[in-house]
Amino acid sequence: MAKRIVTDAVLAAVALVLFVIEAQIPPVVPIPGVKLGLANIVTVWALIRIGAPDALGITLVRIALGSIFTGTVPSFVFSLSGGLLAFVAILLLRKLLKEDQIFVAGVIGAIFHNAGQLTAAAIMYGTASVFVWSPVLILSGILTGLFTGLVAQLLAKKIPRSIGARRN
Amino acid sequence: MIRTRTWIVIIAALAVAAAGAILLIRFFGAPGTTAEIVKGGEVLYTIDLDKVTTEYEIEIGDEDGDRNTVTVRPGMICVSSADCPDKICVNTGWASKNHPYPIICMPHELIIRIVGAEGEADAEAG
Repeated sequence: MAKRIVTDAVLAAVALVLFVIEAQIPPVVPIPGVKLGLANIVTVWALIRIGAPDALGITLVRIALGSIFTGTVPSFVFSLSGGLLAFVAILLLRKLLKEDQIFVAGVIGAIFHNAGQLTAAAIMYGTASVFVWSPVLILSGILTGLFTGLVAQLLAKKIPRSIGARRN
Repeated sequence: MIRTRTWIVIIAALAVAAAGAILLIRFFGAPGTTAEIVKGGEVLYTIDLDKVTTEYEIEIGDEDGDRNTVTVRPGMICVSSADCPDKICVNTGWASKNHPYPIICMPHELIIRIVGAEGEADAEAG
């Protein structure tokens, strides 16, 4: 139990550092919601290697602390809706994925993260017009998701299975 | 189990569909030429961009000290300057009938959208 808490806490810290560092980089593309999503790497890896409750906890802690450190109230709502939808999408998909297909989870996570953010924006701004951005965000989600997913896949290969493995 | 090649084909097909949608948006554009400036869920300005003859600016401020300067030209509208941290609204550039992507300033809860002459209902149908 203690090992589990420490592992999850370290992973939440890693995700938080990636999130905060990424927030310091000025947006590369002038499109609302487009970013690399480095913290997605941790969510994907934790979901595949540890398990759903731990991955959910890690993601929620990262979003809550990340918003306190870098964000505003709207950015918290966007992060939460995007992060939760991405989590659910990967959770439903992961049984279909083999060891060398973890990158697909990255792509699905990124696309659904953007979808969750757009939906939150549509509700918050009271306008469906934000969905005009969706094809652009699907394309960018595929590109950024391929990157984060491939990193997660590489990590899953390199990090020993004993880390994060359940013994109890 | 689904083969890796199948996954790549699915992702590629999705990318092609998204690219196609982008082309369709470019080709058909918005159903109208009316721009709405919305802040905090409230429509502040409704401007028919086709009826604009000379360039002008609108200052959008609020009690928090948030400021966006909107520039209106014949047929197009943009946020020309703002004091938000990320400047995404400024860098998004011009919105018009043929480029109907809403300009969003997330930190200031500001959105500029292109709608049909009848307003939002038309935009959603398009």
